[in-house]
Amino acid sequence: MDNNRHSPPSWSTRFLAWFLKEDYYEDIQGDLEEEYQLLIKSKGLARAKRWYSWQIIKLFKPEMAKKIEAQNSIEKETTMFKNYFKIGLRNLWKYKSSTVINIIGLATGLAAFVLIALFVKDELSYDRHHEHAKNIYRVTVKNYTTQGELSRHWAFASAGHANRLKDDYSEITHATRFYPWAFPDISYKEQEFLGEQVIFCDPDAFDIFSFEFIAGSAETAFPDVYSLVLTRSTAVKIFGTDWEEKGVIGETVTLARDGNEAPFKVTGVMEDMPEQQHFHFEYLAPIRFVEMIMGEDVANNVGGNYNWLTYIRTASGANVPELTESANKEFWDKYIGEFQPGVYARDYYDFVFQPLLDIHLTSNLEGEFETNGSIDQVYIFSVIGILLLLVACVNYMNIATSHYSRRMKEVGVRKVIGAFKSSLIKQFLSESLLVVIISLPIAVMLILWALPYLNEFMDKKLAFNPLVQTDILVGLILLLMLVGGLAGIYPALFLSKINLVQALKGEQSMNAGKWNFRSFLVTFQYIVTIGLIFSIGVIESQMGFIRNTDAGFDREQMLSLSLPRGNYNPETFRNELLKDPKIEKASYSSRIPTGRLADSWGSRFFKGDSAVSTDFRLPVVTIDKHFLDAYGIEILAGENFREGMETVLQQDTTSVGYYIINDAAVKALGFDDPAEIVGKKMGYGPSEGRIVGVMEDFHFESLHSPIVPMVFIYMDRYRRISLKLSADGMQETLSRIENVYAQFDPDTEANYRFVDDLFNEQYQNEERLSTMIKVFAVIAILIGCLGLIGMVGFIIETKLKEIGVRKVLGASTASIWMIISNRFMVLIGIAFLIGLPAAYWFMNDWLDTFVYRTSISIFLILMPVFAVILLTVGAISYQTFRATRVNPVECLKDE
Amino acid sequence: MKEYQLGEFEEIVLLTVAILHEDAYGVSIKEDIEQRLNRKVSVSALQTALRRMEKKDYLKSELGEATAIRGGKRKRYFKVTKTGKAALDYAKETRMKLWSAVPNVSYEYSKAWITTGILPRPGLPGSWHGF
Repeated sequence: MDNNRHSPPSWSTRFLAWFLKEDYYEDIQGDLEEEYQLLIKSKGLARAKRWYSWQIIKLFKPEMAKKIEAQNSIEKETTMFKNYFKIGLRNLWKYKSSTVINIIGLATGLAAFVLIALFVKDELSYDRHHEHAKNIYRVTVKNYTTQGELSRHWAFASAGHANRLKDDYSEITHATRFYPWAFPDISYKEQEFLGEQVIFCDPDAFDIFSFEFIAGSAETAFPDVYSLVLTRSTAVKIFGTDWEEKGVIGETVTLARDGNEAPFKVTGVMEDMPEQQHFHFEYLAPIRFVEMIMGEDVANNVGGNYNWLTYIRTASGANVPELTESANKEFWDKYIGEFQPGVYARDYYDFVFQPLLDIHLTSNLEGEFETNGSIDQVYIFSVIGILLLLVACVNYMNIATSHYSRRMKEVGVRKVIGAFKSSLIKQFLSESLLVVIISLPIAVMLILWALPYLNEFMDKKLAFNPLVQTDILVGLILLLMLVGGLAGIYPALFLSKINLVQALKGEQSMNAGKWNFRSFLVTFQYIVTIGLIFSIGVIESQMGFIRNTDAGFDREQMLSLSLPRGNYNPETFRNELLKDPKIEKASYSSRIPTGRLADSWGSRFFKGDSAVSTDFRLPVVTIDKHFLDAYGIEILAGENFREGMETVLQQDTTSVGYYIINDAAVKALGFDDPAEIVGKKMGYGPSEGRIVGVMEDFHFESLHSPIVPMVFIYMDRYRRISLKLSADGMQETLSRIENVYAQFDPDTEANYRFVDDLFNEQYQNEERLSTMIKVFAVIAILIGCLGLIGMVGFIIETKLKEIGVRKVLGASTASIWMIISNRFMVLIGIAFLIGLPAAYWFMNDWLDTFVYRTSISIFLILMPVFAVILLTVGAISYQTFRATRVNPVECLKDE
Repeated sequence: MKEYQLGEFEEIVLLTVAILHEDAYGVSIKEDIEQRLNRKVSVSALQTALRRMEKKDYLKSELGEATAIRGGKRKRYFKVTKTGKAALDYAKETRMKLWSAVPNVSYEYSKAWITTGILPRPGLPGSWHGF
């Protein structure tokens, strides 16, 4: 019989076993099976099976089911929780000092975490609001040297790229350019706004990006060439706050530049572009207008003139890597072909289609329209935020368990009365939740207090208002639960585990000598503290290194002034400025140190009579003969520019050239001694001539990039004038400079910056990063210290009897101190071994982003350890002092 | 007098347990009811009634022998307790009291049935099984 026995559906049986009361299970399942076997015979297997499962489903009702763990009714539960909270509050009130430490720790940790989370969330939300965000790409162009090395990667493309790409590839459904460099003056009635950044774009822009229209619409934005779309703020600026009532659509404003005027009709008003967008435009006008003015040649340029911010939208599902590849294979051949026989344009250019969503965090190309964020920064802050939260939790755990002896009797009594382990866990979890809930208002106040500072510092507009922002509210509640659970679970398990007899006897030596989870917690805090102190040390030393590195030029009291517009003799302007006795030196140049070396032409070097193209990029800066003197740059060999050494660099015009190159260029050309190269023949762009001088190397660009070969020529392509000022009476000097400027150009404001400010701005990102890391790291360290003090207290509390006995036997305070501190030294040692390599690896990576970087010295490695030891020794000494002062009788009388 | 509450189904189950005497366990009780009353009984309903009455102390139970057909699970035999007996008596008594109180005119309706030819069937309407 057993052979052809069919057992009933096993999942049904398992289900029955799961829900049915244990003492019912055996006979009921037996009954079911008996009847099941009978049914198979009478009705067949299938029906028997159905019957069996159906009976079990019917059995699934409250009377038959096991009681859910706590069999108590909801009412009973809430009463218990009320009791837990009441006891919790009483305990918090009773031990005020540890409560305050706990709440401060948790509130600061929570506040810091939330602030960081706000920042990270904001950084991650860039450009996501555009409907087609996933299919939008920015067209960027890479330039290569003759040698095939990457020379520049531009954020902008050429004027002719967008339309040609769109026409040639069906996957590209829309393409637009933005031309941001027009700066026309805008006038409406008697008002005039000078040099407004009107952005000219293709009509496709409205199909690519989701701009939100308040008046007019995306479809009717550009009916003809003379259309102008405003944003809310520019509408207010031009038409006043009541622009909406006035109805500005169809109003005519005049755009003027360089004596030309054109009337534009307002066709639409958009919302201001959201903060979380990698570009912000205030006016949009049809790009056709710019093309009409600049001419077809410019509009059709495909190789250079990277001034056109270009975006494409692809059909959804388009294979963009493949598209990029075929564009690079075909485009350059089709539209440029060969520069000279055998020299193919395709070897010099590459398109890179950058996903829109990657731009803000990962793109740092040549000429980004706005400064982007950095994914590294997001990572670093995320790590610090999580560490902070963990440290705050660990801190709570340490303090909560360290005072366990106070709660032992309570736990004992509860157990005697019949509390389950689970209800004790619930009790201590609700206590930790209580502490977190109390910390929350303080955390919120801290956030509200700190947010404006953070916003100002990080140049952000983060908002924190949980009452309105439901996502933040939900996040906060989840955070509360998480932190409450995380911080409470260990103390809960620990305290509920206490042995009943020990608890009631008042025995205090629980686990005191063993390595356990608490040792792990302390080690964790040491790891974080050591790691953070080390990181701060490295950042500080790198920033110090940058600040103290001699950039090689004089930037003190050096002012860089924009040039007046209009026609005037540069010498007259310079002389006018130099009449001021407080202006010591003045010099024109196309770019100034701290800027970028973005202009370059091809160059040749002559060996004998034959010219060899140089295989490296040689950027050019045009200067006047006073430049080297003004910036204190020394001539190593040869001479400075003299009158008559002007070079004319103009396409298709051969001219005589005079060059001053830097030492790096000398090396790159294969010479060791600067003196040897002076007088040698070279060619630069369309010019040909001699090297007249060699200057010392200096950091024209920031310390992020190495010193590259460069050439100076004497030529009027000036954009700025640099003024060396006297240190005293700076304010008056500045206003006199403004006056002189106004004499030459009354319409625009003088725009000037101090070169050392510009210099420091190059490291603004690092400065911000280091300051933020420092602030948060100090918070983490402080919280950690609180926990440490609590922890030492705990160890001593558990050893109170031992200390008492030792004292009775004649031990000195010092020897007792040794016993306690030994243990911590081992933990510090472990933390050192784990924390330092991790932090070292992390920070070494960061240092690698600098070409000129400090090395990690032995001091930096040892400093955090000494700091931590000092801290621990301090805490131990304080607690030991307290402990050893206790009369041994006090702690020994218990037994 | 103490009040004994018995539902209709409970009463049937309690009676059946009494009928089966020493042999009252899940399957036998169920079979007996189904045969005698020609009505379908679900394990769930039966067990619920049994356990409820056990809790009310009308029944007591003990585990008995296991058989192979039961997959080695033991049977639970039920017995009617004194209280259970009292409850049955009480139910019967009240029922009888009510019966005796019904006046004869109340039966008029049966004539109507007879004339229309529709006779009430024993058991519940819609019983489909072929026992």
